[in-house]
Amino acid sequence: MEKLKLEVRHNFIVIEYALIAIVGFLGIWYLTTTFTNIGKLVPNPIQVLTFFFRSFVVPIGGNTIQEHALISLGRVLIGYSVGVALGIASGIGMARSMLFEAIFKPLFEVIRPIPTIAWIPLAILWFGIGEMPKYFIIFYGAYANVTINTYAAAKSVNPTLLGAARMLGMKEEDLLLHIVLPSSIPQIFAGMQSGLSASWMGVIAAEMVKSNNGIGWVIIMGQESANTVQILAGMLVIAIMGFLMATGMRILEGRLCSWNQKKI
Amino acid sequence: MKRKYVIISIISVVSFLLIWQFICDYAKLFPSYVLPSPTKVLITFIKKFTNKSPDGATLLQNLFASLEIALSGFALGAIIGVPLGIAMAWYKKVDLIVKPLFDLLRPIPPIAWIPIMILWLGIGTTAKASIIFVSSFIPCVLNSYSGIKQTNNVHLWVGKTFGATNFELLRKIAIPTALPYIFTGLRVSLGTSWVSLVAAEMLASTRGLGYMIQIGRVVARTDVIIVGMLTIGGVGALLAFILQKIENNYIKGK
Repeated sequence: MEKLKLEVRHNFIVIEYALIAIVGFLGIWYLTTTFTNIGKLVPNPIQVLTFFFRSFVVPIGGNTIQEHALISLGRVLIGYSVGVALGIASGIGMARSMLFEAIFKPLFEVIRPIPTIAWIPLAILWFGIGEMPKYFIIFYGAYANVTINTYAAAKSVNPTLLGAARMLGMKEEDLLLHIVLPSSIPQIFAGMQSGLSASWMGVIAAEMVKSNNGIGWVIIMGQESANTVQILAGMLVIAIMGFLMATGMRILEGRLCSWNQKKI
Repeated sequence: MKRKYVIISIISVVSFLLIWQFICDYAKLFPSYVLPSPTKVLITFIKKFTNKSPDGATLLQNLFASLEIALSGFALGAIIGVPLGIAMAWYKKVDLIVKPLFDLLRPIPPIAWIPIMILWLGIGTTAKASIIFVSSFIPCVLNSYSGIKQTNNVHLWVGKTFGATNFELLRKIAIPTALPYIFTGLRVSLGTSWVSLVAAEMLASTRGLGYMIQIGRVVARTDVIIVGMLTIGGVGALLAFILQKIENNYIKGK
């Protein structure tokens, strides 16, 4: 009971300070923009928030801001799911079959260090300016990260487990599904996390380079029309969505590999 | 046994290149602005050391322009980020005040800073260095923070028993414990710096590797794009490798 009280007290302090910090930050932001010359360059927080809420009903370009956000999210979901599925398959393939590894690992090693964003020009030349290049960029961001993590995990599966399963008469193809895949799940999730942020970054970059909707487009349009309020509102949306995605992944991970939770 | 697989790897790479060459030069499945042959890419790569077209600088000039900005932004991010992370983890008050603000900024991917930085600071070096700063700053803070938090309490108690001051505890016990984490942070930072620099150069620049591939797209010179991509990938891998070597030399008892 005493401990619980302490914990509540601690949480209370954290929230208290967080509020002080955020209010202080907004206050300083507001005061400097209102009373100094910085205000000509930087809009005050009230303008940003007003713009943010107004853009839920007043469209920017052809869409309201939540539609832009959903358009970007939809692109990510398509490219990302293909990337994750193929990444897990090729990671496990390379780790468990020497032939497969000998053939594909060298090619993969050449492509892997190329950042997702550096593919954008090539993707646009190859697939035009529609949805395809964006899917490709997102796909690549997820694929490269998931593959390398799955590979590392599946390569280091505990040999005792494999030996035990073999001794008990498990078929080689069942080993993959029942031993290799489950024991690789935590690291696959790590790959999926970094893949998701690479994909998310990739879609924003791709939309900034060439697009006519999506949240990346919102901020680049803000730049082109020198509309700082729009950029900051767009960044706010990006931050919220990034936060939601990361949290969602963490919850999913907690559900799927609760047996492997790190104790903090 | 091992030999056999090395040979298969070599055959795989060679046949990949041969098929690529065949598709481009003999089967002519794609026009060369869609997919140039590997020999053409190689020739462009060699020529690019002296040839300034289409983007007005040689490969090395572009490379050094990119490296200069990436490394200076990275250094700035590390110099501010690592101490801030350490301070956040060690001093409760700093943690309580800075953490909420930091958590607000953290989910914004570095490239989303590009438009606002360009609008505020123009398309020069300052804007790009600031973008790199933001992108390298965050992993530095996060990793130093969790590194210091890993410090074993028993070690701290021993230090206290022997009468170490708070600052001595930090300098002699907590920071050495956190070093591997700090280095991980630096490595991640360097990677993201390099990536965001390429993005920044693609969107607003007149020099650099990102600019080179972007111009390659505009004038449909796929060979230049592929040369640029391979250079970006190669240099990124090289930077990571160098940092890994430094880490291995510097950190004992890992």
